[in-house]
Amino acid sequence: MPVLETQGVSVRFGGNVALRDVSLTIEPGRVTGLIGPNGAGKTTMFNCVTGMQTVASGRVVFDGRDITGLGPGGRARLGMARTFQRLELFLSLSVRDNIRVAGDIVRANTRHRIDVEAETDRVLELAGLADIAGENVAEIPTGRARVVEVARALMTRPKLLLLDEPASGQTEQESERFADLLRELAADGIAVCLVEHDLPLVMSLCSTIHVLDHGTLIASGTAAEVQRSPEVIAAYIGTEAVA
Amino acid sequence: MTTFLTYTALGLVLGAVYAIAASGLVLTYNTSGIFNFAHGAQAMIGAFTYYQLDVAWDLPAGVALVVVLGVLGPAMGWIQHALIMRGLRDTEQITRIVVTVAIMLGLVALAQWLWDPQEARIPGMLFGVDRTVTVLGVVLRYHEVLCLVIAVALAVGLRVLFNRSRLGVLMRATVDDPDLLSLAGHDPDRVSARAWMLGSTLAVLAGVLITPVIGGPLEANALTLLVVDAFAAALFGRLKSIPLTFLGAIVLGLMNSYLVAYAPSEWTWVGNLRQSLAMIVLFAILILLRHERLRGTATRSRERYEVPTVRRAVVWGGVFVLAVLAFRQIIDPSSVGVLQLGIAFAVIALSQTLLTGYAGELNLAPLAFSAIATLVAFHAGIQGEGLDARMSVGGLVAGVVAAAVTGAIVAVPALRLRGLYLALATLAFGVFVSSMILRDIQEHTLFGKTFAIFPNGNLLFPRLAIGPVDLADDDVFLMVTAVLFAVLGVGLVALRNSGYGRRLAAMKDSPAASAMLGQRLLRLKLTVFALSTAIAGLGGILMSMGLRSVTKEHFVFTMSLSLVMLAVIGGIGYVSGALFGGLIAGAGLTAIVTLLSDTATEHPQFEESLGLVSHIILVGAGLAGIGIAQNPSGILHDVFAAQRRLAKAPEIRYGALAVQCVLYALAWFDVLGTGTFVLLSLVLWLSLPSIGAALRPEKVSGGSARPVPPELIGIDSDYPPGLADRLDEQLGVNALRDRRGVSHAGA
Repeated sequence: MPVLETQGVSVRFGGNVALRDVSLTIEPGRVTGLIGPNGAGKTTMFNCVTGMQTVASGRVVFDGRDITGLGPGGRARLGMARTFQRLELFLSLSVRDNIRVAGDIVRANTRHRIDVEAETDRVLELAGLADIAGENVAEIPTGRARVVEVARALMTRPKLLLLDEPASGQTEQESERFADLLRELAADGIAVCLVEHDLPLVMSLCSTIHVLDHGTLIASGTAAEVQRSPEVIAAYIGTEAVA
Repeated sequence: MTTFLTYTALGLVLGAVYAIAASGLVLTYNTSGIFNFAHGAQAMIGAFTYYQLDVAWDLPAGVALVVVLGVLGPAMGWIQHALIMRGLRDTEQITRIVVTVAIMLGLVALAQWLWDPQEARIPGMLFGVDRTVTVLGVVLRYHEVLCLVIAVALAVGLRVLFNRSRLGVLMRATVDDPDLLSLAGHDPDRVSARAWMLGSTLAVLAGVLITPVIGGPLEANALTLLVVDAFAAALFGRLKSIPLTFLGAIVLGLMNSYLVAYAPSEWTWVGNLRQSLAMIVLFAILILLRHERLRGTATRSRERYEVPTVRRAVVWGGVFVLAVLAFRQIIDPSSVGVLQLGIAFAVIALSQTLLTGYAGELNLAPLAFSAIATLVAFHAGIQGEGLDARMSVGGLVAGVVAAAVTGAIVAVPALRLRGLYLALATLAFGVFVSSMILRDIQEHTLFGKTFAIFPNGNLLFPRLAIGPVDLADDDVFLMVTAVLFAVLGVGLVALRNSGYGRRLAAMKDSPAASAMLGQRLLRLKLTVFALSTAIAGLGGILMSMGLRSVTKEHFVFTMSLSLVMLAVIGGIGYVSGALFGGLIAGAGLTAIVTLLSDTATEHPQFEESLGLVSHIILVGAGLAGIGIAQNPSGILHDVFAAQRRLAKAPEIRYGALAVQCVLYALAWFDVLGTGTFVLLSLVLWLSLPSIGAALRPEKVSGGSARPVPPELIGIDSDYPPGLADRLDEQLGVNALRDRRGVSHAGA
């Protein structure tokens, strides 16, 4: 059963149709990619899933439950977590406290007590951030800051982890280590979904890929299937010719 | 029918003046992103200057108008922009607000200095009262017709400016993206300077027009509050739309006029209600405004605060209590009350540390909540009569709880919106408390009970008694207040270091990321607002118990604003910043002004110059907040940073401690006066890092520890002749030019 399902989602900005009747699924235990040329509607789709954008029509179903009317906080409490394309770190806190505060929030929301300290240590270790735990988050390089955002999201023990362009700003080595981390998370049963421009990374990492173009879903499938799709080739070659 | 038409016409005239004021406010807000709290104060300065020129110096009205509208208005706007507003990039909302609040306080102090408030100045209408026109049986003076004409012209003019003219389009672009505008070859600074000049001139125009319309003498505080009316009107258009702002202004004007016309005469409180009308309308709109979409906004602001550990806070709390105890021994018994008042104010300022410093929310009227707590404690908690009257613990608790509940109620409509709205809602609430609740001094009957909220305008507020502990003694009360401040301060630091404190910091830094982690933002904001107003309530009760007798002047909104401003100057992220703000607002200024006036009584020959100094200090204290743009983290942040440089040279600190003890001994034996002792102690500790650097240069690092990266310094190099040609060559511009046949001169 998919952890997330969108059914015929459409979004309009004034007269512009940003998304037209998009239906897709995200499965647990897998890394799913959402790709498309600039302006295809990837970030809008992301915002619809996380509740930061209201849909004009269609439904969003998470974990068997219709969450179309739910706000971002409510979705987060159901087990959805995201990172931001333009980093949204808590700049006055240290790396460790950025992660710890996510645990504080979970503890404030739920009745049962979780050991925030121990959980923070575990996540720091898992994400490979233990060496910079004490540093001010405003002073670490972008590549590692993206990992901090993922680690912070992991503190909420999400069922679905949404990553908005996680590899931008990372060095090649960093993005390789990052890909390993995502595979590990998927192996633990988390549904990982990423919007990404780095096509080689998406092709090697994602077991399912959804391709958007001009607000329409034009292909879904494995890397090999998507690469053979004539619509996808047209969409990408079309944009590259312009660029 | 004629009555209705007359009051409609008067309402329209008042609305027209509101519209002029509000459009200026919208203009500056939309071109600079800075909400100008000094807008009303600028109107006030304009009105007084016009009066001075026209009436006092007997210049022709035309000349006076040209001077205030052609010179004073634009000049104020230009100075504001050039000196201050440019420095406010990348600062938090509170810093921006405090800077304009500082200008407002400075201007009010200036006006009270230049124009004695005791003297009544009644400005006449332009063209006099005799020249009238009659429309549909309604007699309108030329002045009133002029207001309507100007408003209509302004509505049309601003529409043309924004939609048709180049400058208007540039102004709109300045808000959207100043960087892009400068890339396109324009100077956003110049555009925004013009907007400020125009906005300020509109404020002055409104100021000159309004007093004859309302009637009565010029009053500095009332004119300054024109900003609240203008804001309420602007809120109709969400601070953006000029046409809706005009609509809002007209609605306000009409409501005001109809209230006078049709409210039953036995409603004596209508006069007070009129003054609060803007604030009531404002709250209604806040409730109706749509929830704003959550957007990612985490940008790095220039404010920085270190978080001390709880252990450190406990040590400093102990030091503070001991210092107060020691200081008490060397001051005059008559000054104990002033010192206690300062610490009570510091407790009120602590509410700002929690709310603004930790959580990033705003409250511009902490004293309004202090007033609520005082009133509830007064009505609920006094036991005994006359000299034996004592405040009960129950009364204290009731007062604090009432402040917290009121805080929550005030905050609810605004919490869904951005911080600025909360700031304005609280300011409006402060005005409401001053102009309605604290003016309810006559007994009246409601629901079968006869009472007055603020009996006779003067509360005799007894001290607390808990079982055998009686706080009637001034020394005991001083120490209890000091201990309470220390305990609350340590409590706040502990709170900041807890999960709750981290969640507040996270919400302040990025509401979007916080919400996406599951944080219930509204609930968190509501709890922190209620907690902070509870602290303000407790501080207010401590203040009232200290004073023993309070009037509405003790809770006036300018005092609230001064306190907020001084706490920000000290460092809003620090408990010590609250102490700084409270001591200066509650004790420091009083002490200085008292000292000066005492000296003046002793030496009458200096009276004039000492009075001048005292005025300069008051205006200067108001204007001090402007400096915050240069140093948004507050002065204590720099003081701490400097002291940390001495960490490796403890002998310097021990030496300073020894000198401090000697100073104390000298003060003890009355060799040094209290003022001299305080001054020398301050000089000693503030200059210690420099002294340390001079004595132990090898141990005390000088200046900032981190080297500045070269990209921030920037490297300039010459632009040698021929470089342009070489660049053209490499970019292929020449080839292109040849092909298109464009002449070189065109480039």
